[in-house]
Amino acid sequence: MDYRRFLNRLIDRAQGRMENSEAFLVKNKELQIGVYKGEITKYSIAESGGLSLRGSYEGKMGYSYTEKIDDSSIDTLVHDAIENGRYVEGSEDEVIFSGSESYEDIDHYNEALNRVENSEKIDFLLKLEKEAYSLDDKVFAVSACDYHEFEGERYILNSLGLDLKDKFNGAFTYISVVVKDGDDTKTGLSYRVFKDFYTLDYRKMAKEAVDNAISMLGAKEVKSGNYPIVFENTSFANLLAAFSPIFSSDNVQKGLSLLKGKIGEEIAVPILNIVDDPFLKDGFASRNFDDEGTASTFNKLIDNGKLVGLLYNWKTANKEGVKSTGNASRSYKGSMGISPSNLYVVNGDTEIEDLLYLANGGLYINNLEGLHSGLNPVSGDFSLSASGFLIKDGQLHRPVNQITIAGNLYELFKDILAIGNDLKFTIPSNGYIGSPSILIKSLAVAGE
Amino acid sequence: MLDKRVIEDVLYAALSRGGDFAEVFVEDKYNGSMKMVGGILESSISGRDYGVGIRIFDKYNSIYAYTNDSSRENLIKVAKEAAQALKEGQRDISLNLMKASFSDYNPIKILPSSIAKKEKLDLIKMGYEAAKGYDEVISQVTVSYMEEEQKVLIANTEGVLAEDTRVRTRYAVQSVAAKDGEMQVGHYAPGASMGYEFYDKVDVREVAREASRIAKVAVHADYCPSGNMPVIIDNEFGGVLFHEACGHALEAEFVSKETSAFANKLGQLVASPLVTAIDDGTIKNAWGTTNIDDEGTPTQRNVLIENGVLKSYLIDKLNGRRMGMASTGSGRRQSYKFAPTSRMNNTFIAAGDSTLEEMIANTEYGLYAKKLGGGSVNPATGDFNFAVLEGYIIQNGKILKPVRGATLIGNGVKVLELIDMVGNNLELGQGMCGASSGSVPASVGQPSIRVKSLTVGGRKEK
Repeated sequence: MDYRRFLNRLIDRAQGRMENSEAFLVKNKELQIGVYKGEITKYSIAESGGLSLRGSYEGKMGYSYTEKIDDSSIDTLVHDAIENGRYVEGSEDEVIFSGSESYEDIDHYNEALNRVENSEKIDFLLKLEKEAYSLDDKVFAVSACDYHEFEGERYILNSLGLDLKDKFNGAFTYISVVVKDGDDTKTGLSYRVFKDFYTLDYRKMAKEAVDNAISMLGAKEVKSGNYPIVFENTSFANLLAAFSPIFSSDNVQKGLSLLKGKIGEEIAVPILNIVDDPFLKDGFASRNFDDEGTASTFNKLIDNGKLVGLLYNWKTANKEGVKSTGNASRSYKGSMGISPSNLYVVNGDTEIEDLLYLANGGLYINNLEGLHSGLNPVSGDFSLSASGFLIKDGQLHRPVNQITIAGNLYELFKDILAIGNDLKFTIPSNGYIGSPSILIKSLAVAGE
Repeated sequence: MLDKRVIEDVLYAALSRGGDFAEVFVEDKYNGSMKMVGGILESSISGRDYGVGIRIFDKYNSIYAYTNDSSRENLIKVAKEAAQALKEGQRDISLNLMKASFSDYNPIKILPSSIAKKEKLDLIKMGYEAAKGYDEVISQVTVSYMEEEQKVLIANTEGVLAEDTRVRTRYAVQSVAAKDGEMQVGHYAPGASMGYEFYDKVDVREVAREASRIAKVAVHADYCPSGNMPVIIDNEFGGVLFHEACGHALEAEFVSKETSAFANKLGQLVASPLVTAIDDGTIKNAWGTTNIDDEGTPTQRNVLIENGVLKSYLIDKLNGRRMGMASTGSGRRQSYKFAPTSRMNNTFIAAGDSTLEEMIANTEYGLYAKKLGGGSVNPATGDFNFAVLEGYIIQNGKILKPVRGATLIGNGVKVLELIDMVGNNLELGQGMCGASSGSVPASVGQPSIRVKSLTVGGRKEK
């Protein structure tokens, strides 16, 4: 199907009734493979997509969508978008965008990934699983050994002449092992997010997962109290990801972020820098334009401890008379929102060994649970189930689990003592979030 | 939804290179939602999810493929592509698809899509005003209205041909209370497998006031002390404790690979004898009820634990093969984009005979967790965590003061043994449960219960 011709037909038809209209089409391809005990137990292939129409009718912006992408859907899309817009209020600031003056021309599609044979991927998983079993007698099961690959195409076409298209791909793989020592059961995970298949090293991944699990055997609580905390890079990145809505101008305008009125103020220690970088090489949220068709831009959010920026789309930008930062984000099922691209804490200059020495008697946290429930992005409060190690004399002394750590993000920003130089990103979801390891002066720990 | 001849051709194509079972899942779903923030109807969206999933089993191995293009030509192409993953083979099958009949546990009176948008807008406004007007401390209110009508067709080489329509309605209010530069959130979101008649049963103003009440309590509360203590978990959504701590570990996905703490324990005492737990997919119009599961098997009432003894797991077809056990009607998936796996429907701890007042009066020092938020579990270790939305410290058998920001952590196997009082006030609450086959509506439930000792995570020392 020639999607551009089809989308032009849709816009033509919509313009018969609407003042302005825009089509947003996403096409996805996915591959998932899973192995268990030497056999391929999961193999999934998919091609799918969705189409959204948004348009203004009597000055009101309405949305509709469908996954049945053919001419039979056009009339319903136009009718439903008008009906949906009828009662919507406050949409005056939401406009259809005619396009930026220029766009970066970075290719986010790695042709080489596309050329890897499926048999190579299966072979990789089988070796990965076998390696994990071979490393230690305590490995009781490999509960997941999976490969996911995705490829997406995005089309934005509107009545103001905007006509953009891009394509991206990527993959991730992970292994989760269960180890047992008597009644003591622990799990360990290792994952890689990549665009180049040949960077994968199954031996390293298997060892990481098994080491992670084995190192937790015998873990127990620590006494309740306040402890210095070193967050391992991805743990802090996960925490930051859960709190990333605070940087959305939409949440700030609605009074759902405590950053309201804080631009220019020192909200963190001077060593903290947080940026949103849509051009990060091999970043999984890298892009040349956002979901409104605005050219992406590099943005500093926290600069040497000072709040200097927020993330905008055109609707929130127009409310304040500023420009969109190119962070408009949506799915074809939803209305225009805001999300970060590659958002991360910039590397500091402290070596990990030094972080551990500085945190004597504290805890090294490498796993946080309950991030979708145990924190409040509005107030900044969090209380999370955690595990990791007790630190003694710069070493990981013994494993710790069944504890919670609690605090408040805004207080934590001011209690950062040192920032590592080991920036790492989490598995991509809503944006691609990264951080180096970070030492916090003190957080409340509940245990014994 | 799809011609029987086409379905047969697709099933034949799926088994053209071997395999011993094939299934077609067709979904055509209408979704509608509206959201009001700060008194302004910010969005109103509707649309159609549409696609077909094809699954092939070869003993314990499973192949899955999905597409939006339901033309005969494309479906056969996709089925053959999926079959390519099998080692060369050939299977002679003869198909005899029989239209399945099953009970209707979710009678629907008024299709939500038949109601004018204006009426829904009024309903949303009514909730907004009730929430905002509850107290001057309420600074922001978001009301979300949700409706869906999901048509499914499931056919497989065992001869099943089942079609059903699932109608669901939900109304969610989130209130923010602000005081002295601090903000706390309250949330309440009832739902049902019902049409618009849901609103004859549920007063949205009460829903709204409940969300605001929780936010107001939290913003006036002090931080929760931390440590080990007895915890009384109230009824309704408190059932998320059992859902997270034990329910997931009873799913065949984990039991079949023996990565669950409950594997190989059928018939054994795994909980306090006070505990009887049930997963029931047949409760009339309940949020997690379906007439058939997403593999075409009729849902049923599964007693999981009876007086502390493990009686049953939650089993889907694929994991059932590995375990040599039949499906319990528990194969569920978010949409055609997911292969189904074993999931919960409406899971609850059965009523006992204590009262909440007795529990409080018999607790010298502890936490009364009146409302819980969400949580999660590691099914292999059984370690769980969840958030307390509304909590109170109990001292000398009396409620002392509200506390906020508490988290409960523990281990599923251990916590079941530590339940020492079970109340008589069973209620169900509604949530969305996420796992490998996506996000599905599920009820949790329980009467008030007391756990002898749990780790409470907070920001203050006792």
